[in-house]
Amino acid sequence: MATKLVTERLSAWFGKKQVLKDISIAFEERQVTALVGPSGCGKSTFIRCLNRMHELNPGARVEGKAFLDGIDIYGMDPMDVRRKIGMVFQKPNPFPNMSISDNVVAGIKLSGEKSKADLDAIVERTLKSVGLYDEVKDDLRRSGASLSGGQQQRLCIARALAMEPEVILMDEPTSALDPASTSRIEDLIRKLKSEITVIIITHNVGQAARISDKTAFLYLGELIEYNDTKEFFESPKSPITERYITGRFG
Amino acid sequence: MNKKSIFFKDSAFKYLVGGSSLIVVAFFVMIFVMLAVRSYPSMANDPLMIFGSTWDVNSGLYGGIPAILGTLASSAIAVALAVPISLGMSVFFTEYAPRRVRAALSIVIDMLATIPSVIFGIWGLWIVAPLVKTYVQDPIVGSIGFIPLFSGPAYGLSLFLASLVLTFMIVPIISSLTISLLSTTPVELREAMISLGATRWEVVRHVALPFSKLGIFASIILALGRALGETMAVTMVIGNSFIWPFSSISLFSPASTITSKIASELYEAVDVLHVSSLVELGLILLVITLLVNSSARLVITRISRRNASG
Ligand SMILES: Nc1ncnc2c1ncn2[C@@H]1O[C@H](COP(=O)(O)OP(=O)(O)OP(=O)(O)O)[C@@H](O)[C@H]1O
Ligand SMILES: [Mg+2]
Repeated sequence: MATKLVTERLSAWFGKKQVLKDISIAFEERQVTALVGPSGCGKSTFIRCLNRMHELNPGARVEGKAFLDGIDIYGMDPMDVRRKIGMVFQKPNPFPNMSISDNVVAGIKLSGEKSKADLDAIVERTLKSVGLYDEVKDDLRRSGASLSGGQQQRLCIARALAMEPEVILMDEPTSALDPASTSRIEDLIRKLKSEITVIIITHNVGQAARISDKTAFLYLGELIEYNDTKEFFESPKSPITERYITGRFG
Repeated sequence: MNKKSIFFKDSAFKYLVGGSSLIVVAFFVMIFVMLAVRSYPSMANDPLMIFGSTWDVNSGLYGGIPAILGTLASSAIAVALAVPISLGMSVFFTEYAPRRVRAALSIVIDMLATIPSVIFGIWGLWIVAPLVKTYVQDPIVGSIGFIPLFSGPAYGLSLFLASLVLTFMIVPIISSLTISLLSTTPVELREAMISLGATRWEVVRHVALPFSKLGIFASIILALGRALGETMAVTMVIGNSFIWPFSSISLFSPASTITSKIASELYEAVDVLHVSSLVELGLILLVITLLVNSSARLVITRISRRNASG
């Protein structure tokens, strides 16, 4: 299996406070990797270093290396990085001033002119791939904000997928959703990995076990353990990992 | 707390709100009635006279069109100049300026908004007028003065100068509101756009500005209202002449507005017709501002309803 995304001794700071310490990890191509760890351990910060969003915070700093297909992410144009590495956020955030279809192609429209027919085709294809098309096809001009929470999150995934990213980062994409919407999105994630490398943060250990191929455990800004998901849960090597997955943890 | 006391509080609040809005409405009606009564002599004498083109106290002619057009033109020019300046400034402050600069400038803008208009008038008269004459009016009149809109002679006091002073007075109004709107754009929406590979400008254009557009529109209407009703500064710099627009259409010609007319003539008017014509102009100004505000309200409710229903 090829590696897609690699970090070497990646560290990150908010001002003087170091929140990531020398993280070295290799993400496999077309696999789902789950990132788990207690609240505040640096999961969000870590994936935001991967698409260069961490540096947008005032006073934020990154050290170490990150490579996408062997190319230094921190040597690339950040806009290019973000086009190749998409992101889905914890809280569904469709653009309220845009229709459903405009939301889907919001990113595409930035990167150059496309014909109406092309855009319509992209809207239909991506909405179908997230299983939203049948629910909204009667009125694609409706505001994206008029959808339910679960539908909004699938719309946001569609918006990211429309860019045809190579990697997609998901920061607790189901934590604000009901169980039914959650399981739809879990199905979707399993399906996605035939084409895309998925890195997903989750607080739900069961979710990590259900959908991921590999699991990484972060604790206090350090990578404690990284293994095939099955191994990770059946025979954790570190006692801290074991305490975390058995739920004896804050 | 039991049900009864909640109910009591609720209804007491209702009466309070109802009562105070009633007072406001009554006050408004009172002003309207006062203006109508006081302008009655002129309306009774000749209802169409106020829409004439000549205002000549000695021959008893009170045509208000030049003042009405002067009010509309100076406000329109001021808004047309102020909107791009304010939007550009606000976008620069919120999106591009370093944090410290941002804080300092927003204080400066808020301070500008509190400067009394008579100070703006003095500043316009002493500082802006000579500068504008030397660096704007004279060169333009000298080069493209054959176009009636820019023809000479360039006096110091003019419609253009008044519009310019008004511009400076309303830029802080639009900017300070726009800045606070832009800076309250939800971070998650900005980040969503950034994560799609958007540049800073694209985030402004596709997220921050659309998010704020209703509020920006409202601030522009507020500014327009201020410009329409502004009296002191305009009276000091517009020249109060009825040359514009019938003898000369030039922006550089002295002109008048409803407010400058009333402010400079009411205290010395003795003729009943003169006084009531001035009051009638005031009534017209009130109607104009009401129309502007209510049509803005209409637009805002339309747009927000459309956004809400999708
Ligand atoms: N904008 C910020 N400024 C300063 N410190 C921050 C900021 N955002 C996060 N931190 C700190 O960085 C550390 C890591 O935060 P991060 O959000 O990456 O954790 P997380 O693992 O994603 O937590 P959670 O599971 O609660 O989302 C925390 O200690 C947090 O307090
Ligand atoms: Mg987080």
